[in-house]
Amino acid sequence: MINFLTYFCLISGLIFWLWGTPVLFQKRSILYKLHSLSVADTLGSILIVVGLSLKIPSELPLLILAIISLTIWNTMLGYVLAYSANNQEEKSDG
Amino acid sequence: MDDLYIYLIVALLPLSSLMLMIEVNPYHALVIRGILGAVAVLAYVVLGAADVALTEALMGTMLAVSLYIIAIRSSLVMRLGIIKSLPTQTDDFTTLVTNVKKAINDVYLRLEVVAYDSQEALEKALEEKEIHGICSTYNCADDQNFKYEVTLRIERIYQLLKPNKRRSFSPLNTLAVRAIIFTLDSLVDSIFLIILMP
Amino acid sequence: MILTLLIPIYQTWHEDNVWQKMVAVSSISSKVSIITLVISVLRDDWMMGVVGVIIITVGNAGLMLLAHLLKKIGENDSTQLIINN
Repeated sequence: MINFLTYFCLISGLIFWLWGTPVLFQKRSILYKLHSLSVADTLGSILIVVGLSLKIPSELPLLILAIISLTIWNTMLGYVLAYSANNQEEKSDG
Repeated sequence: MDDLYIYLIVALLPLSSLMLMIEVNPYHALVIRGILGAVAVLAYVVLGAADVALTEALMGTMLAVSLYIIAIRSSLVMRLGIIKSLPTQTDDFTTLVTNVKKAINDVYLRLEVVAYDSQEALEKALEEKEIHGICSTYNCADDQNFKYEVTLRIERIYQLLKPNKRRSFSPLNTLAVRAIIFTLDSLVDSIFLIILMP
Repeated sequence: MILTLLIPIYQTWHEDNVWQKMVAVSSISSKVSIITLVISVLRDDWMMGVVGVIIITVGNAGLMLLAHLLKKIGENDSTQLIINN
């Protein structure tokens, strides 16, 4: 049962990655790319880490720390990137 | 075959360093340096050197990138000196600045316009290599129209600014350009003078 | 996993806009740290796991710093007039 849950989490995380990353190839605006990338990366990574923590419970505190820092830092980095890129594009338009 | 993934990850390292080497724009190269740092961290971890990986993460992605960006910013700049009284609000001066920026942008230089109080301070700055060139008005006898001239002390910048057949646009395209090169022993080795006639 | 890591690397090589590159690099950095964590769990190595968690934090912080500096430089790109006294 635990094994099945582990592989389910790992594979769905990988599917999230594979779904979000090819958005980079499309000719869309940077904000759209940033949105789908941050959704796919954060959710996929959290799923993978949860799957790992189910597999080896002895590293649970470390993996919880990983989830927390992943959430906080990815959100902040996404915000900073969107803010700076948006500023820049407005400048080049005007 | 069990450690195939190790070889795959280590193979990313020369790939990203090759990307870094063939990149010409210094700012883009900095971003690729970030990739190289991340890939290097992964390779070191896979090979079992956790301490080296930690050092690479701290040094490579934070310290080196921030230091390099400051170095690039302060070194890749062309400083053009003017006198405070120079009329900078005219159309000709705006065209001149725009065209010079376009021309030196090919080699990723920025332009800084530095204003000085007096002619002596300006010439002293050129002599002491504080600035790379002087923009001043060219005395024209017939009417009150301003004509700008740019005096440069570096041959490479002159090569960039002079009309060039390879480029689709001439850097000073709306203005006829007459270039005079002469040497003055008292000032600097050689002075490149571009006279712009509106 | 390595395939998903290769996609943004190819993209940074292909892309001209510096911000698109930054987005791809942020993706790479988080993927690298997750791969590190996976390998650490596979090998049951606590030390590697600590390194993975640290590079999540440090990599993101470094990218933020880089984005901020790039933004500052882009703002100053319009010619500034320096008054020298």
